[in-house]
Amino acid sequence: MNLGLKELRRRPGRFGAAAAALVLISVLTLFLGGLLDGLYLGSTGALRAQPGDLMTFSGNSKLSVIRSRITGEQRAEIAKIDGVTAVGGVGFALVSAAVPNQSEPASVTVIGYELAPAGVPDRPMVGEAYADQSLETKGVRIGQVLAVGPKQLPIKVVGFVSDTNFLQQGALWTAPTTWREVLASARPDQTLPSGTFQAVTVQTARATDPAGQASIAASIDRSVAGVRTVTRDDAVLALPGIKEQNSTFTAVIGVTLLVAGIVVALFFALLTLERTGMYGVFKAIGASSGQVFAGVITQALVVAVVSFLVSVLLVVLAAAGIGDALPLTLVPRRLATTALALTVTAALGAAISLRRVVRIDPAAAIG
Amino acid sequence: MLLANREIRRARLRFALLSGAVGLLVYLILFQQLLLGGLLQSFTSALDAQDGTVLVYSSAARKNVEGSVLTPDTVEAVRRVEGVAAAGRIGQGTFTVVSEAPGKSAEQVEASVFGFETGLPGAPTRIVQGVAPSDVNEAIASQEDVAKGFGLGATVRTEAGGVPLRIVGLTENSRFSVAPTLWVTYPTYEGLRRAANPDATAVFPTLVAAQPTEGVSPTEASTRVTAQVSGVQALTRSQAVTEAPGVAAVQQSFSIILGLAFVVVTLVIGFFFLILTTQKASSLTLLRAMGAPSGYLVRNLVVQILAVVGVGIALALALLVGSTRSGGGSLPLTINPTTVARTSTAIVVLALAGSLVSIRRVLRLDPHDVVSRQSLGGLG
Repeated sequence: MNLGLKELRRRPGRFGAAAAALVLISVLTLFLGGLLDGLYLGSTGALRAQPGDLMTFSGNSKLSVIRSRITGEQRAEIAKIDGVTAVGGVGFALVSAAVPNQSEPASVTVIGYELAPAGVPDRPMVGEAYADQSLETKGVRIGQVLAVGPKQLPIKVVGFVSDTNFLQQGALWTAPTTWREVLASARPDQTLPSGTFQAVTVQTARATDPAGQASIAASIDRSVAGVRTVTRDDAVLALPGIKEQNSTFTAVIGVTLLVAGIVVALFFALLTLERTGMYGVFKAIGASSGQVFAGVITQALVVAVVSFLVSVLLVVLAAAGIGDALPLTLVPRRLATTALALTVTAALGAAISLRRVVRIDPAAAIG
Repeated sequence: MLLANREIRRARLRFALLSGAVGLLVYLILFQQLLLGGLLQSFTSALDAQDGTVLVYSSAARKNVEGSVLTPDTVEAVRRVEGVAAAGRIGQGTFTVVSEAPGKSAEQVEASVFGFETGLPGAPTRIVQGVAPSDVNEAIASQEDVAKGFGLGATVRTEAGGVPLRIVGLTENSRFSVAPTLWVTYPTYEGLRRAANPDATAVFPTLVAAQPTEGVSPTEASTRVTAQVSGVQALTRSQAVTEAPGVAAVQQSFSIILGLAFVVVTLVIGFFFLILTTQKASSLTLLRAMGAPSGYLVRNLVVQILAVVGVGIALALALLVGSTRSGGGSLPLTINPTTVARTSTAIVVLALAGSLVSIRRVLRLDPHDVVSRQSLGGLG
């Protein structure tokens, strides 16, 4: 193993080809993963932050918050179900907002809420909003008054919250009255009367028990006519395109990692072939096949780790250059899983040289 | 060529691995182009498939159909602009529709509905079967969604309000927002909207589709509408398609991914043959000393490159056909022979370009090294 590391230190150029190819493949994988995470986080934040472990929609909305409507009577009935501890209405309006001193308006989602979502303070006064931090890049600042929707309704920003966006639009968390006004002015055909929300977030006494949650959801759907209740996670997955996005990107990332494995296998097969004579000498002076093979695997792992680190640097620089033109987000979990997948794939790829290493005859070293 | 073939036969694993890597990379490139084409086609093609050459949005919508709402006064103001011959209202909305696919039970499907005014700009242009809807509760659907229960003669109904819609025609390449798309008359659209929300105070049009007068170009007409009507942004039909929010970002993301994949293919092939050529340098020098011309050795190298790329492309095509047969969910994935031909040609050219260093190395082999270099058995 030591010898493998020494060779890497003394002749790093020998591994340059494999490393260069792996860096690019790793950049490709991280870029795909970063896009997937950016699209997912930017679209689902507002639902992921909901305080209830269940969400109830109207039964004919196919779990679309925009098309759903839950009346005050339905909400009151849900609150009476055994196991339900709190119910809060929530509604969304996708509009644009004029930002002071900015020529370009910002795309925002005005969200009216009753129960404070995770990381969001209790609802603000009418005409005020907590803005998602991502809106800072659009020039939004605390204390500013934004002109929201076609009727330019004034909404004052009183604070920032993070990771709460909806369908790639910056969230403005408001009192229900503010949201209702914005919705009526922007989409008269979607106007909802006081007391009616698009969906409700439902807190239960069984928040950590999936079976208990399912049982309460079933009770709600049985007892309240015209509603459909799902877990918060299922509500997130029901957002348009989320499932398809996840499966397509994951498949493409999988194929890319497979290519990484094959490339490592290819280059280490060539390196092993080149060093057959040297390995013969090692074996002739007492090294076992295991020791020789361990050196090969070590080299593959080091090349994979170094390539990964270089690729992270390149992707971070690329992300800074791209700015907010693309929803590219690098999250630590994605970096960790990519690093792990790449090193495991590289080790498996290098393992293809095992047969050749085992078959090297020490006698060949002495002719 | 015997030499090239024999070497491939004797080192099957190495060449199989390279062909496999190239095949997977070419598959990734082709599959992503397929996805991009399907995505763009299903995203905005409805805007291109109506007969208004100018589309007017509310300026607050920022070119986003779903964010646009126009008041009746604005519609009238657009109609009065000099250079606008005719203008029709377009209503767009997403509804939960219950459809019954042949042999399956009824299912809720999200569908995009476009309402247009009969006899005015905004009517669908790509009807391939049946007729345009002319009566309330008639609709035309996308032929891509026939299997989902939107076939000719079928009746679907919106879930909210239970409004039934009879499919009287089919369109091609006229979908919107990657969803089944229905075209209905404007009164039908208004009815669907009111049924979905009884509390609606009004149903306003989403867009206005306009046709310029003779001698006025769509670009000129759209400029005049934007300048003369307050609170609107008019775009030509092609601008509406290409400048829709998300289209540029999707194209940019795919361009970066495809560009990287092309670089990886070039690099992998180039490095593989460079290492191989370096490892074989002594044997190749010996062959040169025995009279083998440089051209023969280069031809052998090129044959190997073409063989690897050829097998790779064949593998990629097999995977691609498999992917399209297993379906793309709501995306229509259709292999475009022109794209395949262009990509394959680009891969062959890039592979040869990537191997130029190896070819140069072969050309620079000096037969005299056999007698002058100890490492090659010479006297030094």
